[in-house]
Amino acid sequence: MTDETLRRADEVGKWADAVQSPDFAETQPTQSQPHSLDIAFTGSGSEYFRIWIVNLLLTLVTLGIYYPWAKVRRLRYFHGNTLVDGAPLGYHADPKKMLKGYILVSVMLALYSAAGRFDPVAGLVAFVIVMLIWPALLKSSMQFRLANTSWRGLRFRFTGNLQGAYQALLPLFVPALIFIAAMAAIPDRKSPPAWIGFLIMGISLAIMVVFPWLFKRLKAYQHQNYALASQTTRFEATTGMFYKVYAKLFGMSIAGIGLIGFVAAIVIPMSGAMHGQADQGKTMKMVAIGVVFGMAYLLTVFVLIKPYITARMQNMVWSNTQSDGLRFYSALKFRSLLWLSLKNWFLVVLTLGLYWPFAAIARTRLQLQAVSIEANVSLDTLVNQARSKEGEAAGDAAGDLFGLDIGF
Amino acid sequence: MPAVYFDGVHAKGHAVQLYLDATTLHVQGKGIDRAESLRTVQWPERTRHGMRIAHLVDGGSVHCVDGAAWDDWSRNAGLGESWVVRLQQSWRGVLACIALLVLSIVVLQQWGVPLAARAVVAVTPRTLDVALGDAAQTWIDQNLMQPSTLPPQQLQHMRDAFTQAVAAMPAGSVPHWDLALRSSKLGPNAFALPNGNIIVTDDMVNMVNMVDADDAVLVGVLAHELGHLQHRHSMRMLVQMTALGAIASLVVGDFSSLLASVPVLMGQASYSRQAEQEADAMAVAVLRSARLSPAVMVTMFEKLADWRNRKKSAAAASPSEDPARPQTAKEESSWLGIAFASHPPDAERVRFFQEAAR
Repeated sequence: MTDETLRRADEVGKWADAVQSPDFAETQPTQSQPHSLDIAFTGSGSEYFRIWIVNLLLTLVTLGIYYPWAKVRRLRYFHGNTLVDGAPLGYHADPKKMLKGYILVSVMLALYSAAGRFDPVAGLVAFVIVMLIWPALLKSSMQFRLANTSWRGLRFRFTGNLQGAYQALLPLFVPALIFIAAMAAIPDRKSPPAWIGFLIMGISLAIMVVFPWLFKRLKAYQHQNYALASQTTRFEATTGMFYKVYAKLFGMSIAGIGLIGFVAAIVIPMSGAMHGQADQGKTMKMVAIGVVFGMAYLLTVFVLIKPYITARMQNMVWSNTQSDGLRFYSALKFRSLLWLSLKNWFLVVLTLGLYWPFAAIARTRLQLQAVSIEANVSLDTLVNQARSKEGEAAGDAAGDLFGLDIGF
Repeated sequence: MPAVYFDGVHAKGHAVQLYLDATTLHVQGKGIDRAESLRTVQWPERTRHGMRIAHLVDGGSVHCVDGAAWDDWSRNAGLGESWVVRLQQSWRGVLACIALLVLSIVVLQQWGVPLAARAVVAVTPRTLDVALGDAAQTWIDQNLMQPSTLPPQQLQHMRDAFTQAVAAMPAGSVPHWDLALRSSKLGPNAFALPNGNIIVTDDMVNMVNMVDADDAVLVGVLAHELGHLQHRHSMRMLVQMTALGAIASLVVGDFSSLLASVPVLMGQASYSRQAEQEADAMAVAVLRSARLSPAVMVTMFEKLADWRNRKKSAAAASPSEDPARPQTAKEESSWLGIAFASHPPDAERVRFFQEAAR
C-alpha cells in the first residue's frame, strides 16, 4: 500500500469512527464554521481493468445489449470510489430504463446517418431536427446524471429548464447552418463561385471569435443549475475569463506549430532531400520527413493542447462555481496532466489498448483530487426538500452515442 | 454489522447495527428501527476498493466503510452474488475473458459481420440501392467526371457485346445492369454503382481497344463489375463498415476515436479484398459461359501495369525503365501494405485468372 492510500484510508476511518461513536450527534458542530471538504479518489487501475474486461466481453457477445449494465457498473465503481469529505458518491441509474433510451437513440442515429447518404436535402432536414431536439436531450441528460447521483443519501438535482437549454445551445448551430445553406445554394459544384471561399473563411473566423462566448453560455447553463438539498450553484466566471483561456491556447498552438516549422526548416535542408540526385530516394525521404512532421503536429495537438485546455478550463470553471454554503476550488496543474497524458498515450499504444483502464483511473484521480470544497454550512443540516426529477434516459444515451461529452 | 444510516432526506448520518435473517434486513439504531424485505434492497457489489452502500426502497441508504467485513457478513448471511461480480473479482476469470474477447473479435470480424451484412442486405429493398447509386452518380458527375468524348457508337457496341456475352449465363444470375462512359483524370478505370450502372472511363475503353480484337477483355472487365452488382457489394460494405465502426468504438472508442479508426480501416480493407475475389469469380463465370478464356484478364493486368509505369516514369521524368518497380512490388507485399490495401495484390489475381484458364 502506498502512503497515499494509507492516508486516505485513515481519513475514511476517522469519518467512520466519528459517525459510529455513540455520541456522534453531540460531537458534530451545529454552527456553520468554514471548513474544507477533501475529495479523494480510491479507485484502482487493476480492479477497473477487471471490471472493464468483463464489461467489454459481455457487451460484445450480447451485441451491445449489455452496454447499459456495463455503464452502471463502471459508474458505480467510479462514484463509489469518489469520497467527498470521506463519504462516497452513490450511483442509482436503472440499466433497464437506460436500455430503452439507447434503443430509441440508436434508431434515431441510424436514421440520421442514413438520411445524409441517400439525399442531401433529407440530410439537411435530419440535421435541423437533431439540432432542434439537442438542447432538450442535453437538459434530460444532465437531469438524469445528477438525479441518479447521491451523497450522504441525498440525491443531486439539475435545476436547468428547457428554455435555458435552448438559449445556451442554439447559437452553437448557427455557423453550421449558414454553411450548409450556402453549400445548397451553389449552382455548379465544379466551379464554385469566389464568394464561397470568402464565406468559408469568414465563418471560420467568426467561429473562432465567438466560440469562447458560446462555450461560456453552455458552461453557465450547466454550472448555475447543480443542486444538492438547499444548495444551488451559481456561476461567476466572466466571458473575459473564457477569452483569456482561449487566447493563451491560441498562442500556444501557434508557438507549437511554429516550433515544428522551425525544426523542419533546419532538418529538411540538412537531410539533403532537397538536392539529392537519385529521384526515388529523394521521394522516399520527403515522404518520411512529411510523416515525421505530420506525427509531430498531431502529437502537439493531442498531447499538448488537450491537457492544457482541460486543466485551465477545469480550474477556471470550478473555481468560479459556488453556492451559498459551498465553494469549489480547482488547482489542476497543467504540467502534471501533460505528463500523465504522455505516459497514458505511450502505454495505451504500447499495450494495444489494454492500459486504457489504468489510464482512466489515473486521470480521474488527478482531475478529482485537484478539486476541494470549502463549506460554511454544517453539512448535517442539509435537507432535501423534494425528490429530484429524473429526466429521460434517452438524453443520457444521446450524450453517449452522439459523442458530445457534456463534461460533468 | 455496524454501519451508517442516511434517511435520504437529511444529510446527517446515524450509527446503526444491521441484522439479516432469511427474508429481512433489520436496521437498528437510536430511534431507528426499520425492517426491509431483502428483495427490495439494492445491494452493493463486491469490490476490493471503495465502500459499500445498500440503497433502500424509499431513498434511504446504509453505508459501510469496511468493505471486507461487509462482504464476509453478507456471504455468511447467505446473500448470493452475481456471476459477473465473481468473474470481475477473479484474475483467472479475467484472463479467460481476455481470451474470449480476442476470440469473439476474430469471429465477429471474419464471419459474424460479413454474415450479418449479407442477411441485412438480403432484406433491404433494392430501391435503397438505386437511391444510393443515383446519389453517388450525381455527386460523381458534379465533382469527379466529365461526359465521354468517345463517339456514341462505342457505347452501343459495348452494350451489344456484353449483352451477347451474358446471354449464356444461367437465368437469374445476372442482375440488372447498364453502361455509361465518362472521361476522367483517374485514368483507365471501371466501377459499378449500386443503381446498376457500370461506369467505364474513356481511358479504359482506349486501353482495352488496343489489345482487344474480339471484345474478350472488355467482357471480362464488365463481368467483374457485374459481380459487384450481383453481390450488392456497395450495400454490404456500407453495413459492414457501420458494424465494424460500432465494434471498434465499443472497444477503444472511449480512449480515442482516432485510434478506433485504425482497426476499422484494416477490417474494411480485408472485406474489400474478399469482395474483389468474389467479383473476379463472376468474371471467370461469365467468360467461361461465353466460351472466352479467362486468360484475357491477364492481358488487362499487364496493360494496367504498363500504364502505371508510364505514368510514374513521366512523373519522375527519368528517361527509360525506372528503378522504382522492384521497390513498389516490395512495398505491396509487405504486411502493412496488405493490411490497408483495398485490392488483393495483382500477382495473386493474375494467378487466379491463369489457373481458371487452364
